[in-house]
Amino acid sequence: MPFTYPHFGSLTYVFEIVLRELGRTDIMLPKKPSKKTSELGSRYSPEFVCTPFKLTLGTFIEMLDLGADELGIGGGNMYCRFGLYWPVQKLILEDLGYDFKFFPIPIFDKPLNLVKSLQTASNNCTVWETIKAFRTTWIKTRYIELVDKLHFEYRALEIGKNQADRLAEEAHRKIVEIQGLGNLRRYGKKLPELFNKTIEIDKKKKKNALKIGVCGEIYVALEPTLNLDVHRKLNELGVITTNCVSFGMLIDFGRKINPFKTLPYQKARRVAKPYIGQRCGGEAQENIGDIILYKKKKWDGLVHLYPFTCMPEIITRSIAPQVSREYDMPFLSLVIDEHTGETGFQTRLEAFVDLLSRKKDKMLAS
Amino acid sequence: MKKKVGLPRALLYYKFEPMWRTFFEELGAEVIVSPETTKTIKDLAVRYAPDEDCYSTKLYFGHAIYLKDKVDYFFIPRFGSDHEVNVGCPKFIGLAQVLDSLFPDFPEIIMPYYSQAKANHGKRRLLRIIFEIGLKFTYNPLKIIKAGIRAFKAQREYEEQLHISEQQLENWIKSQIFLNEKPNLKMRKKPLKLALVGHPYVLNDNLSNLDIRENLSQKGVDIITSLQMPRSTIEDQMEKLDFNLYFNYEREILGTIMYFLENNTIDGILQLAIFSCGPDSIALELASRYSRRQPETPLLQLVIDELSSEVGFSTRIEAFIDMIDRRN
Repeated sequence: MPFTYPHFGSLTYVFEIVLRELGRTDIMLPKKPSKKTSELGSRYSPEFVCTPFKLTLGTFIEMLDLGADELGIGGGNMYCRFGLYWPVQKLILEDLGYDFKFFPIPIFDKPLNLVKSLQTASNNCTVWETIKAFRTTWIKTRYIELVDKLHFEYRALEIGKNQADRLAEEAHRKIVEIQGLGNLRRYGKKLPELFNKTIEIDKKKKKNALKIGVCGEIYVALEPTLNLDVHRKLNELGVITTNCVSFGMLIDFGRKINPFKTLPYQKARRVAKPYIGQRCGGEAQENIGDIILYKKKKWDGLVHLYPFTCMPEIITRSIAPQVSREYDMPFLSLVIDEHTGETGFQTRLEAFVDLLSRKKDKMLAS
Repeated sequence: MKKKVGLPRALLYYKFEPMWRTFFEELGAEVIVSPETTKTIKDLAVRYAPDEDCYSTKLYFGHAIYLKDKVDYFFIPRFGSDHEVNVGCPKFIGLAQVLDSLFPDFPEIIMPYYSQAKANHGKRRLLRIIFEIGLKFTYNPLKIIKAGIRAFKAQREYEEQLHISEQQLENWIKSQIFLNEKPNLKMRKKPLKLALVGHPYVLNDNLSNLDIRENLSQKGVDIITSLQMPRSTIEDQMEKLDFNLYFNYEREILGTIMYFLENNTIDGILQLAIFSCGPDSIALELASRYSRRQPETPLLQLVIDELSSEVGFSTRIEAFIDMIDRRN
């Protein structure tokens, strides 16, 4: 009974970790989506559904053809239509004649319900074992995200080619494979040093490199196929980037219940209150807050990505110009769907980077 | 002089009109509602609204801009949901603050936030909202409380009148009563029976639905709308799904379609959807897949946007009716 799930940037490793911890040995790693995947998805999808639906459907079709028959995806009650992906995809795939089973995981539900639904997908785990597996997952996710952060920094500055890519790939794999939390912590502490030692960087470049955050709807911001690998494009222009949105923080109950720590997304929601006073799904509130927070951290700009027809992010996009004006923080909003052209996208990013570097030069001169 | 409160005639206005109107009138304010959507309002909407919003939200922008110089306050609630788990559309929550941010020259917007599902708001929150709004108009607490009570009573009465009972539904199916406009019976002996399914702000807005109700009754069609369906029938249908359809307004739409697909008691179903409406994109696909599994009752799905032409629209409806006639 091979189990599979949608490809989701570096979170693909996170889902692999949780399944391994749950005792599944029959995991089929999802293929990296290609142009064909998105064409396949769009062919069978409703007309104006958001783009992640089409890409995940395409991935499922490809994986079912390869022999998978258990599909994991997010579900449950939420604000936007993401929780209704699986019922629709189930009907579509049934009509295409596949035989399979869906495992919807209610990611925004109460922790206990989340654990229970993970248990149904597990290989006969008890509740306690499931909680332990979940805990291991969120701790490993912290390091996965740390690797991403280092990766996007070193890739912008490296002198040789592809060193950072190779090292990040290795580190991700190592984190997935590592046994025991003690070993993991020891390895995690060495990570910054490891990157520093292995990759030769341009020190002069580091001083005045631009820093741009990538925020937006979480799937588009994190899945390189869908966002046309925005991080790589920016890194190649010599810009240090980071992911403003993080999946790890949402599942990190260890840090969530710690009363002495405020997580970045909680801070973002607080500072966004005057502009958008309540959650309305997606990452709308967090994105507005990030404009203010990243200005305070002295970052140079934000790139905001969202899929076509995404309901909450249209709200962000409408409010963001005002916030960006008030805080003097450059903000580029780009809509993405399966027809987005690579060249047009590249041109806009280059123009944005040019604008920022000119602004920075002016500031340094004065 | 009385303070003027503006209510744009779009989106949730069609659902909560009696409550809002009674409340502000009881408080001693003058309620100004924008007129039925006209060509002018549509042009304003298309010009000023963010281009990716759905057509209905765009029309909301049009109505609000039309009203902005005529009122002292706007009333645009940030309405999340009135159910324990099910929610409305995220755009209803963000709308007030989007308008506030895009048009700084607007008069003060009264925007209470109420959401039972995600924020766990209850009666205490309602009381607070009522007082916060009430104190803008009068300092008499008794008057505020009275206004609140009467507003909810008016809403309840309106809904009782709107939603028919199961008995009435059966009578309608047997052609004993009419629920909407009387069909024109010059052309045919027996009226066709169609279910007209969609959001309240589409079915009641004659510009956005391209006058479909008048059009249908002229052709001798007797309709029932999804807004009128008995709530118990819809909840029964929703129980049959293996997932929870958590968009509160889609439940009504899909419930009606599933009920008539299952029972085959009427001649056809006509579903109206708005282009780029998020919840509708899900409901359209679910409905069409269910109809493929139970194909006895024909289902026509029409998607409307600001570019839809009346001629193309009525041609498709005529073809649908011809097809039903040939089947019978």
